Amino acid sequence: MEQNSIPSTKVERAMRFVKTGAQIGGNYIKHYSKKMMDPSLSKEELHEDNATDVYNALSELKGSALKVAQMLSMEKNILPRQYTNKFQMAQYNAPPLSGPLIIQTFIKSFGKSPQDIFDAFDMKATNAASIGQVHRAKLGDKELAIKIQYPGVADSIKSDLKIVKPIAFRLLDMNEKELDKYIKEVEAKLLEETDYELEYKRSVEISGLCAHIPHLVFTNYYREYTSKRVLTMDWMEGMHMDEFLKTNPSQEIRNTIGQAMWDFYDIQVHELKSVHADPHPGNFLMRSNGDLGVIDFGCVKEIPEDFYFNYFALLVPELLEEPGIIRRIMEQQQIINKSDTPQVQEIITDAFMKMTKLLATPFLEETFDFGNNAYIDKIYALGEEVSKMDELKKSKEGRGSQHALYINRTYFGLYSILNVLGAKVKTGVRDWKSGLVAYHSVEA
Amino acid sequence: MKSKIIETFIRLKLEESKAVNNVYLFAKEMGMEEKEFYNHFASLEAVEANIFQNWFEMVQQEVSKADIWSSYSAREKFLSFYFAWIEKLKENRSFVNMLWKVSQPIPKPPAFMDSTKEAFINFAKDVLDQGIQSKEIEDRKYLSNKYADAMWLNLLFVTNFWIKDNSDAFEKTDAAIEKSVNLAFDLMSKSALDSMLDLGKFLFQNR
Repeated sequence: MEQNSIPSTKVERAMRFVKTGAQIGGNYIKHYSKKMMDPSLSKEELHEDNATDVYNALSELKGSALKVAQMLSMEKNILPRQYTNKFQMAQYNAPPLSGPLIIQTFIKSFGKSPQDIFDAFDMKATNAASIGQVHRAKLGDKELAIKIQYPGVADSIKSDLKIVKPIAFRLLDMNEKELDKYIKEVEAKLLEETDYELEYKRSVEISGLCAHIPHLVFTNYYREYTSKRVLTMDWMEGMHMDEFLKTNPSQEIRNTIGQAMWDFYDIQVHELKSVHADPHPGNFLMRSNGDLGVIDFGCVKEIPEDFYFNYFALLVPELLEEPGIIRRIMEQQQIINKSDTPQVQEIITDAFMKMTKLLATPFLEETFDFGNNAYIDKIYALGEEVSKMDELKKSKEGRGSQHALYINRTYFGLYSILNVLGAKVKTGVRDWKSGLVAYHSVEA
Repeated sequence: MKSKIIETFIRLKLEESKAVNNVYLFAKEMGMEEKEFYNHFASLEAVEANIFQNWFEMVQQEVSKADIWSSYSAREKFLSFYFAWIEKLKENRSFVNMLWKVSQPIPKPPAFMDSTKEAFINFAKDVLDQGIQSKEIEDRKYLSNKYADAMWLNLLFVTNFWIKDNSDAFEKTDAAIEKSVNLAFDLMSKSALDSMLDLGKFLFQNR
């Protein structure tokens, strides 16, 4: 059984990370000794080595540590690309629950075994989510997909995050206080993800409100076969992105899917103010007719109003012309602090605005070609540059609202999927600016 | 009648009644003649000793009559048994708590578990033999005979863990069962242990 090699105790898991820390140290030594011989050696190889070690460590963990790996892999602006590629592999296939445990989980949830409830139930998981696994079943003429969660996930999340902290601290070049604020946000979201009843509620809500978007498809959920640790829905046909791309879809189909995805996020962010904040390829199914299926509403970020109006105001050039507004927003978003020297404030504001302008590019054009690698590369490069800024690293205080974490992650995820998909999207159709302009004109 | 006596015994024990130490009082509670009691049990200690064995038999029957049982590997059979065992104990948690003195981490089994142990060992041997035949478990000289005892310790460990478990719906006990059985089977299947023994033997013979 694959489960054999999973380090199961906290101590064991902690040991894994210690080992990885040591390996990374070793990689740096290797790198610098090689560099003495060959000054032309790039940092690429070093990052590659590090990424392999970190990935190897993370892939032997499951549950929340795997989720953190996903989380890191989404923060492409911070991590060099070599890390990201490796981490993306962590998004599929965790080890399985045993057959008896599946039955036990059903008996606890519904008082009956899956064989008693369904006409057919496949004991072999079809694929693994990071905190559980998916099984196929049949009820009448319906094909079902049933997600089952590992026991005790919520409990292990807290201790896992404590273990991940020191290594995240090193990897992300972030100061401790800043990290703490974010880790709390991540912890809260991860704990929400362990509650399938909550996921059921959100799935039904968001899919109802977004059902009108062309080419976007949702599935049907079953309340009576849903509990905290079991979620039952209709089986959805479609391919994961990598599989789908192998079928060589036409540009037109790519654009249609990309458009559905863009519209989905546009409506959630600007209208529902509540967003499916986990856009990684495993959560979408694509079809040859241009339909996009959305699965897994475990991670939903509700966007607080004052955060929304300040964060997105930075994307509206007209608004930024008003004197003093940038400073006001920077303070509101806790990007600059009162205790900073004026120079530091200026440097950080400049860097942040540069980043924001770059990220806002798709918003400000009629159509945008996400397949353009030059644009995505520019984001990585600037992200790496910003994360290395002394002014940021030396800062003792956290920067940026914790709400930005999941919103940024959502957009990086969205951009990178659209990039891999190679989609050209009409990004400027919806009017979301006037709401922001109205809000700020009252304010001023 | 036996199960009626057991039921009454559990109730009286929980109510801290003196009748659990005195057959005369006990029979009176049951509304039966003292001599009729002896038709079923020799003493009240015998009732106590029978409770767990009785549960064991019920659990064993329940798991082995499930359709899926025959398709399970030995590992899965033990998992399935332990899960069902805890479900059974759950029906009587207060009683088990009262009787089971918890010590760390695997307790010296209480005397009332003796007959249960015997029954369990027989059951475990059957399942293990089948695992050895299917090569799921490695047949090792001297050690193989101890496998069933190891699974018995596993049962005590699981029971103990559950008694102390405060997690929602005893979720942690589920995880403990899964992990401990996996460990037991990893140790019993062909593993580094065999290569180690092999090397040890080789070095011993060649120096």
